Amino acid sequence: MNSPLPAQADRTPTDWNAPAMQKRIARRYAAERRFKLFGLAAVVLSAAFLAFLLATMVSQGWRGFVRTDVALTIDFKAAALPVDRAVLRTPGADLALAGAELENTVKGAAATQFGVGGEDAISEYAWLKVREAIKQDPTNLDRAVRIPVPASTRLDQALRGDGTAEAQALAERLKAAGLVSTGFNADFLRMSDSTDPVAVGIWGALKGSLLTMAITFLIAFPVGVLSAIYLEEYAPRNRWTDLIEVSINNLAAVPSIIFGLLGLAVFLGTWEVMGVRFGPILPRSAALVGGVTLALMIMPVIVIASRNAIKAVPPSIRDAALGIGASPVQVVFHHVLPLAMPGILTGTIIGMARALGETAPLLLIGMRAFIVQPPGGFTDPATVLPVQIFLWSDEVSRGFVEKTSAAILVLLAFLLAMNSLAIYLRNRFETRW
Amino acid sequence: MSALALIFVVAGLGLIGWLTARARAASFELGGAKRLHSLPGQHGWYVAIWTVLPALLFIAVWSGMTPRLVQDAVLQHPAAAQLPAFDFERDALLAEAKRVARDRSATAFDPVAEQLVAPTRAAISYYGWIGAGVSVLLAFACGALAFTRIKARFKARTRVERGVMSLLLLASLIAILTTLGIFLSLLWESLRFFGQVPITDFLLGTHWSPQVIDANDPGKSLGAVPLFWGTFFIGAVIAMIVAIPFGLMSAIYLTQYAAPGVRRWMKPILEILAGVPTVVYGYFAALTVAPAVRDLAVMLGMPFASSESALAAGLVMGVMIIPFVSSIADDSIAAVPTAMRDGSLAMGATRSETIRKVLIPAALPGVVAGILLAVSRAIGETMIVVMAASGAANITLNPLESATTVTKQIVDLLTGDAEFDSPKTLAAFALGLTLFVITLILNIVALRVVKKYREAYE
Repeated sequence: MNSPLPAQADRTPTDWNAPAMQKRIARRYAAERRFKLFGLAAVVLSAAFLAFLLATMVSQGWRGFVRTDVALTIDFKAAALPVDRAVLRTPGADLALAGAELENTVKGAAATQFGVGGEDAISEYAWLKVREAIKQDPTNLDRAVRIPVPASTRLDQALRGDGTAEAQALAERLKAAGLVSTGFNADFLRMSDSTDPVAVGIWGALKGSLLTMAITFLIAFPVGVLSAIYLEEYAPRNRWTDLIEVSINNLAAVPSIIFGLLGLAVFLGTWEVMGVRFGPILPRSAALVGGVTLALMIMPVIVIASRNAIKAVPPSIRDAALGIGASPVQVVFHHVLPLAMPGILTGTIIGMARALGETAPLLLIGMRAFIVQPPGGFTDPATVLPVQIFLWSDEVSRGFVEKTSAAILVLLAFLLAMNSLAIYLRNRFETRW
Repeated sequence: MSALALIFVVAGLGLIGWLTARARAASFELGGAKRLHSLPGQHGWYVAIWTVLPALLFIAVWSGMTPRLVQDAVLQHPAAAQLPAFDFERDALLAEAKRVARDRSATAFDPVAEQLVAPTRAAISYYGWIGAGVSVLLAFACGALAFTRIKARFKARTRVERGVMSLLLLASLIAILTTLGIFLSLLWESLRFFGQVPITDFLLGTHWSPQVIDANDPGKSLGAVPLFWGTFFIGAVIAMIVAIPFGLMSAIYLTQYAAPGVRRWMKPILEILAGVPTVVYGYFAALTVAPAVRDLAVMLGMPFASSESALAAGLVMGVMIIPFVSSIADDSIAAVPTAMRDGSLAMGATRSETIRKVLIPAALPGVVAGILLAVSRAIGETMIVVMAASGAANITLNPLESATTVTKQIVDLLTGDAEFDSPKTLAAFALGLTLFVITLILNIVALRVVKKYREAYE
């Protein structure tokens, strides 16, 4: 036998304490420490980016929830608005007050009271606040009243020491007179889109989001759960089933904007079949078409989560139910489905959170309209919270920056709540078999 | 009567059918010695399904037909003779008449439309009542017929369960229909586009400026190569330069080095990055990152640097992808058999040597597949590039210059006020088809890689 190995005697034992060896070990340990440090740096930097993102949004967005008011004294007795007092208790009050040039009266009062540039100190929707005050108490029209009205963006910026010299001077003057007050801006949660950053609110977009989510849930949840049940419990192994599975897995990876193109072409396009043209299946810009499009988008997410939840129910449950005479349908609907429900709901909530934050497909199907009135129903033109954020981010007026960040905070709060609910459900109800 | 109210009425009838059928089936059991074949509830479901389903189908078909019938009826009216013959204008007037007919507080601007309001209103209510009458009658008749079939030996359960099974099958077919719908609608509109613009101009042309399209040769300004390059550059190069090292290293640190407590907290925190809506990233990129990148460029001696650079969009996109890469790397590293790791450590290798020379090579197919999926997600990402990237199509290697992407151009092309048939609008669908095909290929390749990898270790 000729061994390729050298004879034992030829080898000198490694001298681990030799300087060369020590140097080598030191180098290897240094590399080890460096590698570990890189890993730590990657984690810390990623987390730091998240912290920076959130900090930026909070530091800009909190101002969106705060409104600066200026106390404006209006002498209605002197102005003598031509308004019938009896009308003020009726729905016609808004029209009557607008017809009586209330807006100009308010502006005039600001100009005389605040001096140069005074009418620019109050927001363009200040007169609406005055109108509310008059409608609440019509006797206001017979005396001089002091009403806090929203300050304009210009004054607001000047109060923070940012703006032209005149604006700053005006701000100083008003502050010295004790007319300026700040408080929580409840209107931001109550109002809808507007051209004036002081007057904007997110209620219209939020309501649009809620309507859209309702449609999405009503379609994606039943369809997703039912197809998961079919694929996991009943589907025969054949080419059709494979095709369904491949479709679902592919749909989960299709970019969201493609679903927007689908919605645009299928739901909003016009078709010509055998010479008969029939128009859009669903109304444009409405919560209905947005909800259907998002439902198609998140359905694969729900199917995949539901299948995993159903798969986790042990076969012994099915065997026991079958053994005491339940039919296959009863086994699933009476036993498997209730046990899988926590997992299914967790997956559904995560899918819904994704739909709530989605923007791109909705831009394509026209849900980017300027919505002043909150949508009344599923077929009214609507917009959603992320699209509203996108629209405001495009505005040049500086007042929109803080409103955009504030809207982002509201959106993030909703997403956080949904994800926390999903985690809670998972921890509370998930059974380990 | 509106379709929604009608659906509620039909559902109410279904509930009545369910209750009465259940009570009747239960009475068999009480009264006679005969044993029921099915549970009383299943008899109830049988009748309820027969009550609701035909009526709902009728409502769906009818509400699809009504607009056409109403329009035909309105066109019979003498005032309709004044309508312009031109299709588009005529449709607008009819739509106005319909709007006013629905909403009593509205008024029509056009005198012809004003005249047509009354006949439209009459036709809508006429066909509405016909629909309501027929569907209620249908619900009642089918429900009654089903009710008469209920006997003690009637196999209601078999029939109901057959219905449930077809419902399940129907639900799972929706996935196929959606895939088919996406593919066919993109293909259809793209074919119309390629009827106007040669496919070679689109795929190989290097000049993209959809704002000015020469009607005689639309292909000249619709060459998509700059978009493909911009998409590749932002999504597959810049974003991946950020996402791969950060994602991989944080996965390695969290699985191999971090204490369990740290891992339990840091993993969900990193996953929040994936849950932040893309519009928020886009806003952050446009407002904070892009100006910073421009300042950097100015500092580096580029006085006219773009504030819509490829770098800003790519960086933020990379951060968004980090948790995606990280979770896939995590899974593939966890799938490497422990024996390999233990063997390496036992031979005296340090932990980093084990990771670099044993774990990563063993997990490589999974990691590569994950990176392919991450690229497919990055090139399909829309909002970050819509808000932070530029609309100017450049082929450049300089990340501080502006570049545009396929997704941004789709949004730009479709949110303008263009008519539906122009090459400009149709180009968006051709871009969408390209994007769809590329992401599909990436996913298929990734799946193949994962499959091979599985065969190696299981």
